Amino acid sequence: MKRSNIWQRNLAANIGIGFLVILLLFYLLLIGLFLDPVLRDLFPDREPASVFNSILLYYFMFDLFIRYMMQGLPTFDIESFLHLPVKRSSVVHFMMFRSGLNLLNFLPMLVFVPFALTGLAAVYSSLQVFGWILSMIFLIFMNNFIATYLKRQLVSKAWITGLAGLALIVIAVLDGFGFIKLTNISGLIFDNLAKQPLLCLIPFVLMGLAYLLQYFFLLARMYPEEIIRRKTYDVSDIPRIKYLESMGLTGDLIMLEMKLWWRHKRTKSMIYLLPLFVLYGFFFYPMPQYKNQWGFLVFVGIFMSGGLMMNYLNYAFGYESNYFDGILTRKIDMSRYIRAKMTIGMLICTFCYFITIPYVFFGWHILFINTVTYLFNIGFLSFLLLFMATYNKMRMDLSKSSSFNYQGVSAMNWLVLLPAFLLPVIIFLPFSLLGMKYVGLSIIGLIGISGFLFRKYWIRQITGSFFARKYIMAEGFRGN
Amino acid sequence: MTINDHIMITAKNLTKVYSGTTVLDITDLLIPVGESFGLVGNNGAGKTTFFRLILDLIRPQTGLVTSKEKNVAGREDWKNYTGSYLDRNFLIDYLTPEEYFEFNGRIHGLSKEDIAQFMESMMDFFNDEVLGKKKFIRDLSRGNQQKIGVAAALMADPEVLILDEPFNSLDPSSQIRLKNMLNKLKKEKQVTMMISSHDLNHVTEVCDRIAILEKGIIVKDLKTTESTLKELQSYFAV
Repeated sequence: MKRSNIWQRNLAANIGIGFLVILLLFYLLLIGLFLDPVLRDLFPDREPASVFNSILLYYFMFDLFIRYMMQGLPTFDIESFLHLPVKRSSVVHFMMFRSGLNLLNFLPMLVFVPFALTGLAAVYSSLQVFGWILSMIFLIFMNNFIATYLKRQLVSKAWITGLAGLALIVIAVLDGFGFIKLTNISGLIFDNLAKQPLLCLIPFVLMGLAYLLQYFFLLARMYPEEIIRRKTYDVSDIPRIKYLESMGLTGDLIMLEMKLWWRHKRTKSMIYLLPLFVLYGFFFYPMPQYKNQWGFLVFVGIFMSGGLMMNYLNYAFGYESNYFDGILTRKIDMSRYIRAKMTIGMLICTFCYFITIPYVFFGWHILFINTVTYLFNIGFLSFLLLFMATYNKMRMDLSKSSSFNYQGVSAMNWLVLLPAFLLPVIIFLPFSLLGMKYVGLSIIGLIGISGFLFRKYWIRQITGSFFARKYIMAEGFRGN
Repeated sequence: MTINDHIMITAKNLTKVYSGTTVLDITDLLIPVGESFGLVGNNGAGKTTFFRLILDLIRPQTGLVTSKEKNVAGREDWKNYTGSYLDRNFLIDYLTPEEYFEFNGRIHGLSKEDIAQFMESMMDFFNDEVLGKKKFIRDLSRGNQQKIGVAAALMADPEVLILDEPFNSLDPSSQIRLKNMLNKLKKEKQVTMMISSHDLNHVTEVCDRIAILEKGIIVKDLKTTESTLKELQSYFAV
């Protein structure tokens, strides 16, 4: 029996995503082509090739980090091969070959190759450039195999991921202040790789070793249950909270949501991302060039207190894909269900806001900006996000995905939200140009407060949209 | 007492179309209060589609389903007295069975004691494989997940019970226990039941009335008698 056709249903979305992918490829190519003149401009006294080489080590460390987080294990369907008359070693080679086809392995080439042909070719001979490109290819694939190996070894240790990321940031900051000079080491390594094409054998051997490491690791663990380690969770991880229990249905729903977040890798890793959202300010507040860019500081404020809330509310219903039918058929008052979601979103936002209060260290205006943007977030953005969430029908299967898996997240969804993020900046700018910065900020805050006062109206609108869209959402979440 | 007081669920001119194919077409179906209605049919006959329509999970092309004389679409009152389990999309799989029953019980306003008593009453059915295992539902076997879903549907004394293939993936003893439980509910509480099954034996043992669904159309509607099983078997014989 033919049910509705997924491709047909999502044609518009697919065209949108396809367009975005092409745009991304185009941008990368542009970066590759114009990196040489840009670097020449930024560092007039250094060769672009040597500048580029000095940051490559960081690039590869960052690449490894990103891969570790995002790259899936290519082993999920191993079971469907095991009973076939195929040699086990062939299955492993095939699995690894397939992991090599990852887009992440080819995207960097869009930058590396054009830059090699421009920036590098200005200093080195074509043979040397060729050797350098080969080295890059080998190192990219080395990272590919190391990342999946690490992932299998350290399955879902979210704190290790966080620690590694933090270490990377700390090293980069120390480098920036001149305490350590990893850039020098990086320059040394990659300059020499460019000077002596034969040295590309070293990356080649490293790649081979990484391949063999993973090959033998997999060969020794050919049973799916050994490769995909099931993490055992502590079932009494979340204590009973008397206060929530006394709140009735709303409290029960909040409790349920807390368990959902804590008991899935993907959502749990989001919790570990919290510092990233809140530390955002540290990158910008100390920089003198942003001191007077208040419009930009407004954006930073929106993002810091609203970033995590956005992650939650935008997919508030999608997170419950696996049991959405259950929610719809149980005795759950849907307007209270919506209100519970809203409450959680606002609590997350409020929590993030409180963490940002110490930024007052950088000036009272920072606190003022962050306060009005917080009000805007809970009084306006929160309702808009939950309203938009009723238009999100992408299934999100939390039980299957690893941390940082973005299945169920569509780029279109984010594009729609961009104006909402820029709105407060747009409101602010005219006042700023007239020299009435605080008036502009106050208006942003007032919009938030009045939106919050009309929350009953908003909840009614969202509930209405929810009822109108629930069949479409449920069908999407079922995923058939 | 009018005749309508005896009717729990009706389906009138109910159709559902997917990509141009009509997968369900029920002109007129009345389910009286306390009747146990069995639905049999091969895969793709439209059993689950029908149940989803009754539970307002999908929108009908035409027609409507009523429960206690009210259209179920867009309403919430039927949820107060309807227990249901269709598939694993009903289970909150990151909870332990205890947490799941507690959540379900609490939304129905059951007290802690009620919930504990309910779990106690399911002890036999669970056969020591579900409760107190310190495991999440997602880590249990299919059969045990099925038991949890069916049990949750029975919580809070529903007046209507809707189960899609409840005997699936249950072991033989559990199948018999479930059959006994359903028969007891029918006798003692006059619960209106709608049960689909691939197992002709079970469905004839539980249901007073059995309909055969084929390509979305009810082709036979039988009162269960001693000859019903034979009739069903000969219908499905190839």
